[in-house]
Amino acid sequence: MTKSMHMISYAALACLLAACSPETNAPDTAAQPSGTAEGNAPATASPEAERESGGTLRIYSARHYDSDKLMYEAFEDASGIRVLYREAGANQLLETMKAEGENSPADLIIASDAGALWRFEDAGLTQPLPEGEFEGRIPARLIEPDRQYVGLARRIRGVAYDPERIQPEQVDQWQDLADPSLKGEICVRSSTNIYNLSLMGEMIEQWGADEAEAWAKGVVANMARSPQGGDTDQIEAVAAGLCSVAITNHYYWVRMHESGSAPTREAAGKTRLIFPTFGDDKGLHVNITGVALAANAGNKQAALDFIEFLLTPEGQARLVDETKEIPVLDSADRPTGLDLIPDFEDSDTPLNTFGERQAEAQRIFDEAGWN
Amino acid sequence: MQTLKAPALHVPRISALALTTLAAALLIGAPVLIALFTGLVGGGGEAWSHIVSTQLLGYTLTTLGVIFFTAVFILLFAVPTAWFISLNDFPGRDIFEWALILPLAAPGYVIAYAWADFADVAGPMQSLLRDLTGLSARDYWFPSLYSVPGLSFVMACALFPYAYLTARAAFSNLSLCTMEAARSLGASPRRLFLQVALPAARPAIFAGLALALMETAADYGAASYLGVQTLSVGIFRAWHSFSEPAVAARLAFLLILIAFGLQFFERLARGKGGIQQTATRWRTPRRQRLGTRAGWLVAGMCTLVLTLSFFIPVARLIWLSAETGLGQGQIVRPFVNSMILAVAGSATAFVLALAIVIGARQNRLSQFVGRFAAGVGYAAPGIVLALGALFILSWTGMSVAGPAALAFLVWIYASRFTAAGAEPLNAAFSRAPASLGNAARSLGANRFSRLLRVDLPVAMSGASAAAIILFVEMLKELPATLMLRPFNWDTLAVQAYAYASDERLAAATLPSLLITAAGLGPVILLSMQLTKAGQSRAAG
Repeated sequence: MTKSMHMISYAALACLLAACSPETNAPDTAAQPSGTAEGNAPATASPEAERESGGTLRIYSARHYDSDKLMYEAFEDASGIRVLYREAGANQLLETMKAEGENSPADLIIASDAGALWRFEDAGLTQPLPEGEFEGRIPARLIEPDRQYVGLARRIRGVAYDPERIQPEQVDQWQDLADPSLKGEICVRSSTNIYNLSLMGEMIEQWGADEAEAWAKGVVANMARSPQGGDTDQIEAVAAGLCSVAITNHYYWVRMHESGSAPTREAAGKTRLIFPTFGDDKGLHVNITGVALAANAGNKQAALDFIEFLLTPEGQARLVDETKEIPVLDSADRPTGLDLIPDFEDSDTPLNTFGERQAEAQRIFDEAGWN
Repeated sequence: MQTLKAPALHVPRISALALTTLAAALLIGAPVLIALFTGLVGGGGEAWSHIVSTQLLGYTLTTLGVIFFTAVFILLFAVPTAWFISLNDFPGRDIFEWALILPLAAPGYVIAYAWADFADVAGPMQSLLRDLTGLSARDYWFPSLYSVPGLSFVMACALFPYAYLTARAAFSNLSLCTMEAARSLGASPRRLFLQVALPAARPAIFAGLALALMETAADYGAASYLGVQTLSVGIFRAWHSFSEPAVAARLAFLLILIAFGLQFFERLARGKGGIQQTATRWRTPRRQRLGTRAGWLVAGMCTLVLTLSFFIPVARLIWLSAETGLGQGQIVRPFVNSMILAVAGSATAFVLALAIVIGARQNRLSQFVGRFAAGVGYAAPGIVLALGALFILSWTGMSVAGPAALAFLVWIYASRFTAAGAEPLNAAFSRAPASLGNAARSLGANRFSRLLRVDLPVAMSGASAAAIILFVEMLKELPATLMLRPFNWDTLAVQAYAYASDERLAAATLPSLLITAAGLGPVILLSMQLTKAGQSRAAG
């Protein structure tokens, strides 16, 4: 009798789940009238058949922007390909893909920071993009040497400073930040953050490990407080007067300028942005938001079509509209607020070094006591 | 039905019930046990020895530190308020009585976002301080929320209602005889509190405290946002930075040990201490009216607790979203998604909790196995359950997609939270006096009919409390949802976290407020129900 009671409860639960599934799966299954199991369908259907039925593109994205949904919709309208997306942190997506193994439904991976994309490559979850596809359109440095991922937008790590206390010459090279004259002036986030790891990765490449470690120690000695919060928090701390130099990616500073909140705009207005170089003629730390083809992509063609779309002026505009990154196509419109940032010139450090130096970068930060 | 009446089948029937309980326990325990098993069997290798030598002690001490400070904050928030509300009348008492449960609706990570912003160097608190004093940001020291005490404060804000609820129930249930006896012996109110009421209520307070502290230890969202390196954060890091899920699982084992330590501590407190209330007439002592000054002082204290834990964070979020304007993001779908998951999850967990609680009343083995499974699930952070789920996925060759993913997630929710539902259910069942069951038996009612007609009605209030707690907890769940949800499927919690971790706090405010609002209704319901139960007991 108790058993049947449980049966009833389970039946009720089943109804509950069933009741929600039409709502749930409307976008999931709409493109697959047969309702074939997710993820297995693309492996069996030929790409041509996929295209004819519209096909489905499954994106694992480490971004989370409302404008991305509009971007997917624009691509769906233009191509007839249905887009399914899963958004989570790059690390969570990575772990999910590893667990899914060969059965992973992912076709395309979108992530910010070459160091994050490198982790997917390192785990064997990517495959090379076709040769000759992007040359001439995308700056050569933004194509990973083995074509495992390619940059579609640029992001620059720089410094926001308080112009009342700091002269631009005091912070126009990364080396300056380790100078004792900036004691108690620097605000920066934790070293476990990928932006700092990639920056350090490039420093090791540019200067060698010893100099990079000396730099990290110098910065730690100059910190106004122990690392905490995100990049925005550091800019705000400069505006509030706690420190006068904040390490930040350019778009956080731009977003503050473009914020709907007056106090936030005001805070940003109290600071200036500068892009320090690694030394004379050694360029800046220019990172990417990029894409990689999943190793077991079932619908490779749709993934390539989507990359093509992102390289149109419309795709580029949608990709950076909300993020305030810098488009890779010179012909694409720049998002509002980007006119505020200084001119820049890439370094010629290959993208893959950020990732390959990651473990060493973390070790150096740990040694320096940069938590 | 026919066969059930035959006495010969009496024994198999019990084992069928026990079997159901064992199956439920297995279902609940599986994800964690699989994660732990894989962790212990799978080689930790270099990463494990690296963590053991450099991080393990730090993670453990930090976690213990957070538990300690959170306990202190919770006791400060919960015990005095519960005491005065149970035994005294003062201005606003009837409002505080239920309003002090409201913080349960807000997830810890949401309180962390709001408080971190509010108390930051650029936030309104410090800006005002600088404006008033003319000091610069470098001239003064200000407590940082990005610290062990800071995180503890946030967790206490979010979780103290658990202890408040149990403390209030205990104080209200103090036997009138005990109190009167103490009073007639000339005990001062202070002595009454310290030497009579507090020892008697200690087991109940510790029960609520233990629940809150287990939640604290398992928290990921707030700790990672505030950059406090707890074991829970370490599990994420081991998994991600070192790509060693086995190492993550080993750290989880440690965390579960700590949680069991807490439970053991609670049992100890319950068993040894605790003055047994033998009087059968459980009456709430008549409340004494406080003097004007004392009354307002106590009202002020309650206001302070409520302001710190609930009004400031919520008001800050409302302020931020008003200042910035609402985003263009979808909000209806995530809201519906959250609701669907929370309802399906709590229904499943409720059924499992019922199976465990009923089974536990049959024999000791079922009791032990059921409790163990539920306890393990509750002690583990959502991330560990997600880890177990991913292990299962990789063995079975499934992928996280479609309705299967949803069912999977519901399973993980149930596995994580069944204990939170089993506790109130169990308490409610225990309230049914044995004599009632015996009377029913002597009237020839069979086991099922007794369950249906005696136990269940008596347990009804506990059952709805259990369902509400399950619903609210699942609404707030973050890490497992983040990793296991199907395509195109965002929940409010996921949205809030994604925006906040991407430094778009203004965009995170709306989903954060909506989670809180969605939890508020059920929490108020729970609160009114408990208050009413208290009143009717007092009246009876």
